[in-house]
Amino acid sequence: MRKHSPWLWLALLLASLALVAAGCGGDDEEAGDTGATTAEGGTEAAEQVITVNWGTEPPSLDPGLASDVTSANILFNIMDPLVKLDDDLNPVPAAAESFETSEDGKTVTFVLRDDIKWTNGDPVTAQDFVYSWKRTVSPELGADYAYQFYGIVGAQEYNGCDPKKDDCAALADKMGVKAVDDKTLEVTLTTPQPWFIQQAAHHSFLAVNKKAVDQFGDKWTEPANIITNGPFTLERWQHNSNIDIVKWDEWRDADSVKLTRVNGRMISDGLTAVQAFEAGELDVNNQPPSPDEMARLKETPEYEQYQGLGTYYYGVNVKNITDAKQRRAMALAIPRQSIIDNVTQADQIPATGFTPEGMPGYDAINPDSPWTPTEGDMDQAKQLMEEVANPKTDITLYINDSPGHREIAVAIQAAWQELGIKSTIKQQEFQQYLEFLGPPPNNDVDVYRLGWIGDFVDAINFLELWTCESGNNSTNYCNKEYDALIEKARNTIDNDERYEIYGQAEDILFGEDGDVPVLPIYFYTYNTLEKESVKETFEINLLDQIDLTKVVVTE
Amino acid sequence: MLKFIVRRVFWTIPVLLVVIFLTFIMMRQIGGNPFRQSERAVPEAVQRNLERKFHVSDPWYLQYGYYVKGVFTFDLGPSLVVRGREVNDIVKEHFPKSVELGLYAFLFAIVVGIPLGIVAALKHNTPVDYAAMFFSNVFHAVPSFLVATLMIYYISLKAGTLPTSGWSSWEHKILPSIALGFAPMALFARLVRGTMLETLQQDYVRTARAKGLHYRRVVGLHVLRNSLIPVITAAGPLLGFIITGSFVIELIFNIPGIGQYYVTAVNARDYSVVMGLTVLLSVIVIFANLIVDILYGILDPRTRDARA
Repeated sequence: MRKHSPWLWLALLLASLALVAAGCGGDDEEAGDTGATTAEGGTEAAEQVITVNWGTEPPSLDPGLASDVTSANILFNIMDPLVKLDDDLNPVPAAAESFETSEDGKTVTFVLRDDIKWTNGDPVTAQDFVYSWKRTVSPELGADYAYQFYGIVGAQEYNGCDPKKDDCAALADKMGVKAVDDKTLEVTLTTPQPWFIQQAAHHSFLAVNKKAVDQFGDKWTEPANIITNGPFTLERWQHNSNIDIVKWDEWRDADSVKLTRVNGRMISDGLTAVQAFEAGELDVNNQPPSPDEMARLKETPEYEQYQGLGTYYYGVNVKNITDAKQRRAMALAIPRQSIIDNVTQADQIPATGFTPEGMPGYDAINPDSPWTPTEGDMDQAKQLMEEVANPKTDITLYINDSPGHREIAVAIQAAWQELGIKSTIKQQEFQQYLEFLGPPPNNDVDVYRLGWIGDFVDAINFLELWTCESGNNSTNYCNKEYDALIEKARNTIDNDERYEIYGQAEDILFGEDGDVPVLPIYFYTYNTLEKESVKETFEINLLDQIDLTKVVVTE
Repeated sequence: MLKFIVRRVFWTIPVLLVVIFLTFIMMRQIGGNPFRQSERAVPEAVQRNLERKFHVSDPWYLQYGYYVKGVFTFDLGPSLVVRGREVNDIVKEHFPKSVELGLYAFLFAIVVGIPLGIVAALKHNTPVDYAAMFFSNVFHAVPSFLVATLMIYYISLKAGTLPTSGWSSWEHKILPSIALGFAPMALFARLVRGTMLETLQQDYVRTARAKGLHYRRVVGLHVLRNSLIPVITAAGPLLGFIITGSFVIELIFNIPGIGQYYVTAVNARDYSVVMGLTVLLSVIVIFANLIVDILYGILDPRTRDARA
């Protein structure tokens, strides 16, 4: 009796062949992989190519529509902004060779360089900027960042126009941006905004090429169609997979750019990204690893950390927790340093005010709040709680479902337990969470977590959140005195004077008699894994921007 | 047979309409704002502009009408979140990759699972049987993402033989296909073994053996053909599941397929992408089931007669 069927053998043979093939697969490198990767610093490598991880797929590479970090970073390197920010976050000329503000602070003039051009050969003109800015503000485009332009005369009105009902074209003409000549761009502001020039370093202020947009419509950002004017050009964009950029030799300052090519993967999963880095497939990974990986990764020589312009905080619904003393007690009880050391583990900076460290004028602005001691002060907190007439001892703590928030919430829940406050953590899916926060926040929300990352480098971007009408104020906090101060700051041109006013505003929130509508916890840091060959020159600035023109691969 | 096929294809339309309607209602029920993707609030004017542009503020019956019309004209509309991309483009670019992954996983499951089940059945109650069943139980129970992560760790990182993630060359495609195919492989092995054991007991098998037919011919031709029926029953919806359920594998191996898009779109409330993909996947499942039924007719004459 024969026991084995030939089919059986065939199938088993195929299966074993497949396994053998899998085991023997060669150690293939992708095209354009890095050259030398040894630890010694110093000399330039022969092959100046790196592979980075951009993170998530950019929803759009149109400067008018881009609203996330990946888009911003790619745009920052394929386009040429009017100004860039130096290490101290002061604006320095880029596409604009000079800029100046009028005495009353309401008119800003940029003079463009003569040698700037598009990849199709056309010169970059002031008209390009006028076209682009008006396009971003136009109601038809539906740009998220249109609000960045609201400081320009007529922009808010144009953006709020309904094309079906009103004459939007007339409003577009009234917008305060015009090309005095081919190389001179004049901007008229509603109030003096001393930070405007710095704000122009943001990607939403980039110019787009009208010909490309007219010809290709929505598809103008595809590599075959896109027309750019920056140090690199977009060579390949395989959605959700790769974005590769190559050096453009005709850029105005091409000689200073060492990298010839930057290959980009798009790996959004933290663990996969770390594994790809450790397998040598990436030179830089800036996707944050999960907290449990942090401890191990921090010990590696490739770990690098940068300060970020952002604040992680807990907002308090002041209509539910009405007594400022209770809010102060809750702030006192939070063991910030302990949370940073044991939970988040990325060497964040404990927050002692709302405006983060690194912001120009920080020393004058920061209130060094008595309510935010680094290690928490349980004794004082308990004392203060006793002084509260009708404390709310049963509160809800809302968080969203991204990694890390729950661990922080649990730590704070334990701290408040000692104060006699029972907190129920309510975790929600992101979109539902945002709906709950409003503003105005859902009645059930007592405390909620959020973070704020700066758009531009002036404290007003942070402090205006707590004005009565702010669309980002979910605390129901409304203080006319505070609003008046912020309004005054908007009209104060002198930097030092303005920083003083910011300091006063922070005092209203966090000083001795502070209202404490929010409990600041820490200031953000960005952490990356960088191969030794790029570690020296690869930098991320406070605004999470990466300047690839400065990166050099060393031997 | 032809009448049967035509009737089934025809029934696809009402099923699709119900699917669209249910998905539409469910997406609206969960609320959320497709135009807010970050913690930063959207200014009122901008929100209005976007709602106007994407018809999100139109009354619900108008929106529903747009979607239904879109589905039947094969124009699934623009993505609300990924500006400048049409759902059709997203499908064209990413769907083939998911199908490829699903097919390789399916092939792996068949090529390894069925022989495994056959061997286990033929060597019933021997150590080979026990080993095969233990192996298949373990891989049915262990979640695919765990298998995936372990494989990446040992094969890619430690041994350095295969890449950790991506979908560019044939080396990239091996690990994900195996990771996704393990559980179906285990399922097939168990199904084949079970049915074969049962079939081997049948009278007609004994008759064939008594007539003097070679054991191999009996097994290969008669027993196997009848044992494959439950496998095909399982294969139909399984194919649909593999294509949709590959999200986790796609995420871990960074494969630009449709699975990632689907889940991201639901979280981001990208209505058009969710609707479009749901319709697409429903059509696939419906046709997979149709093919299964047709195969029945070929493999099992009994059902053919019953139908006629």
